[in-house]
Amino acid sequence: MNALWIAQVGAVLRLELKKTFLSRRGWWIYLLALGPVGLTLIHWLFEAGHPGGRHSLGDDVTAFAALFLLYYLRAGIFFGCMGIFSNLFRGEMLERTLHYYFLTPLRREILVVGKYLAGLTVALAVFVTSVVLSFLFIGRHFGAAYSDYIWHGPGLSQLGWYALVAALACVGYGAVFLMCGLLFKNPMIAAAVVWVWEGINPFLPTLLKKISVIFYLKSLCPVQVPVPPPFSIMVIDAEATPAWVAVPGLLAVAAILLIYSAISARQAEINYGE
Amino acid sequence: MSDSLVTFSNVSRFYGEVLGINKVSLSIPPGITSLVGPNGSGKTTLMNLMCGLIRPTQGEIGVLGISPQHPERLCRVLGYCAQFDAFPKGLTGYQFVYSFLRMFGMSAAECDQRTRTVLQLAGMTEAANRTVAAYSKGMRQRIKLAQAIAHDPRVVVLDEPLNGLDPLARAEAIALFRQWGDEGRHVIVSSHILHEVDRISDQVILLSHGYVVAEGQIHSVRSEVQEQPMQILVRCDRPHVLAARLFQQDHVVEAKLTSDGKGLLLRTRDADRFYLLLNRVVLESGLEVESVAPADDDVSSVYQYLIGEGASV
Amino acid sequence: MAVYKKTYRPYEGGLTAPLTRFLVIPRYAFEELHRSRFLTFFFLATYIYPLICALIIYVQHNASALSLLGVQGANRLISINVVFFMGFLGWQSMLALFLAAFAGPGQISPDLANNALSLYLARPFSRLEYVLGKISVLVILLSLMTWIPGLLLFSLQGYLEGWDWMTANARLASGIFLGAWVWIIVLSLLALALSAWVKWKPAAGALMFGVFFVAAGFGATVNAVQRTKWGHLLNISNLIGSVWVELFQGANKTTSGTVFFRVPEGQELPLWCCCSALAALCAVCLYMLARKIRGAEVVR
Repeated sequence: MNALWIAQVGAVLRLELKKTFLSRRGWWIYLLALGPVGLTLIHWLFEAGHPGGRHSLGDDVTAFAALFLLYYLRAGIFFGCMGIFSNLFRGEMLERTLHYYFLTPLRREILVVGKYLAGLTVALAVFVTSVVLSFLFIGRHFGAAYSDYIWHGPGLSQLGWYALVAALACVGYGAVFLMCGLLFKNPMIAAAVVWVWEGINPFLPTLLKKISVIFYLKSLCPVQVPVPPPFSIMVIDAEATPAWVAVPGLLAVAAILLIYSAISARQAEINYGE
Repeated sequence: MSDSLVTFSNVSRFYGEVLGINKVSLSIPPGITSLVGPNGSGKTTLMNLMCGLIRPTQGEIGVLGISPQHPERLCRVLGYCAQFDAFPKGLTGYQFVYSFLRMFGMSAAECDQRTRTVLQLAGMTEAANRTVAAYSKGMRQRIKLAQAIAHDPRVVVLDEPLNGLDPLARAEAIALFRQWGDEGRHVIVSSHILHEVDRISDQVILLSHGYVVAEGQIHSVRSEVQEQPMQILVRCDRPHVLAARLFQQDHVVEAKLTSDGKGLLLRTRDADRFYLLLNRVVLESGLEVESVAPADDDVSSVYQYLIGEGASV
Repeated sequence: MAVYKKTYRPYEGGLTAPLTRFLVIPRYAFEELHRSRFLTFFFLATYIYPLICALIIYVQHNASALSLLGVQGANRLISINVVFFMGFLGWQSMLALFLAAFAGPGQISPDLANNALSLYLARPFSRLEYVLGKISVLVILLSLMTWIPGLLLFSLQGYLEGWDWMTANARLASGIFLGAWVWIIVLSLLALALSAWVKWKPAAGALMFGVFFVAAGFGATVNAVQRTKWGHLLNISNLIGSVWVELFQGANKTTSGTVFFRVPEGQELPLWCCCSALAALCAVCLYMLARKIRGAEVVR
């Protein structure tokens, strides 16, 4: 990558962040990220009023695992990334501003990379921060015991894994939705298909399970959450993918999707539907 | 492909089954070239094609020898002020020009310098720090112009650049185009204000229904239009004498006195024979001629003759 | 003194009746929706399940068909009862959500994005008529896939089973009708409100899903973290499920709900809470519509 390309990626990144980061239009994405932070904060404040405690630290660790899987991976990060990344190109087409980029001496591949990095920066900043804060708040009412759990127990390692999984989810879903935004006039239909596919993942045969983002992310989660009855009887167990396969695998899938997006961007024309 | 021309070789572009332009072959030299034609005639398609925003269905395009399929090279020599009245949200005028200039790989200081210069040129210095969303239509047009020329392109493509500008700004813009044309740049303008096209253009390209109807200097184009009698206005002391002689000629279709009684407007199928006759009348009857000028040797008339009255520009 | 020739002639022809004027909107909206092959295909596909249900009802009452299929005991496997009809409504209602998410956002957002609202309101057409017209598009579509086939199935079963069955199970018919209407009103209002606030159609559709699924996910996490059941208040499908249980079964509850709309056992919320939450949701949607459906917008 030569110096010009780096400078151009930087220019796209700066412009995109200027336009989108902390903009009013992204309120719902920040709400998605702040929701669990607020919830765990309330939990901390609420439970701090019950010194004896109504449950154990282990219960909170499991509750966080459920929160992470059911909310962050299945809803918050998925929909958040959909909002951030599918808007990068499709939003510009809708607002009739993409031609400004196309009229600069910018290789379309560089534009894709720049926009993806801008989206990723926002997604990581918002969701990884949210995950870390929620993890820190959820057991805070245990006081020294929770600090001990973090610093001398498995807490720090779990926090690291959760942050990594959240980051990988942003990387993976980001690449998926950037591509959807480039290829489809209505990326929502594609997103709905992806959502349903990711949702039925536990019930799919082993081979099909592996063609998804959530399967690898779940493998990396430090605490597993069982599927509740009556759906548990339909679950097909598959061997969890080791981290050394899951992490590079996800990165590779994201890279392939980005390459395809770059090829599509190269063919893209300005047609604002007139 | 020539390194000093904008060339179209047998270029067609279809939108599905709808024709954009068909089999267009052109060579546009430096100077001001105006694209004229009714709505849907293919002006914007032609511009979008040469800027690489859309690709031709067939044919080849070259902008100073560069194919539009290489934006990384093309956009260094080309600036396009498109007709879309849309801007990235939340940016000020300065940020708008500066941010896209950064994508040329220039240093921050260089971009800042160029941005300030071009904002001054467009008369936007005072409004530079206001968001573009708060600009009037004329200001938005000027900031678009500023953004299109900030990198000092050799080819400037302007889609309806005078839209929304007040008369003063319009005159300034025209002077600027004239200056660029004189400097040897290619200035390609689409406009529907025909008398202004007349004033600024070195050459015109007339389009209709996706086809190039005529191209070249407007006077040459007019003289090519044989089937339409030429209108000539003669101002002299005794126009009725001239009129009486003219009615004896078979090439004169119509002659009428102007309301002040000092002029004669005539339509002839053979301008050369008319000029010979005029010389003879002057010599024989001592007619004092004040002026002789073609009355329909302009874009507007040529447009009417070639494209017709029904077309809305 | 200037003399002006009067050349203007006002329209003197007949007008649409004021009460049915709002139907102008669905007339054109259906043409527009029909142009989308995806929507047309999806809408037709929603009739697969009702057809299967009709087939089941028919086979259940046809001894020769059962023996031909070699499944004489099938009538013991699938009973045509409250679970059957609630299951039907649950499945169709889930499809209705998808249809509303695809068709709903296109109702108002293009008018707002293109500043076309004033064109409607500059005519003898009120804001209420505009909203009625837009909502009727969704109401008609969603009715065609929920309570109308539901009542047809009920009639078929009643016809084959006899009048006694019909009178004994009249509550099922009212359950289908009223239950579907509650869902249709909530869905339509939500779709229109989001369509009025989000100008980009796909974003409005995504937000529609988001309101359902993200809120449900968040509700589940509220329950998990706070060890409570009140998080279900954020789960619209659970709220609807609770209302349906009441409408279908009254005091004699034998099932806790249906597919997609089932409330986990032991976590049921009081009915008045569910109704209040749904009413609040509808009120918010109406407020959102009232804020946006205006002839002139003040831009600050």
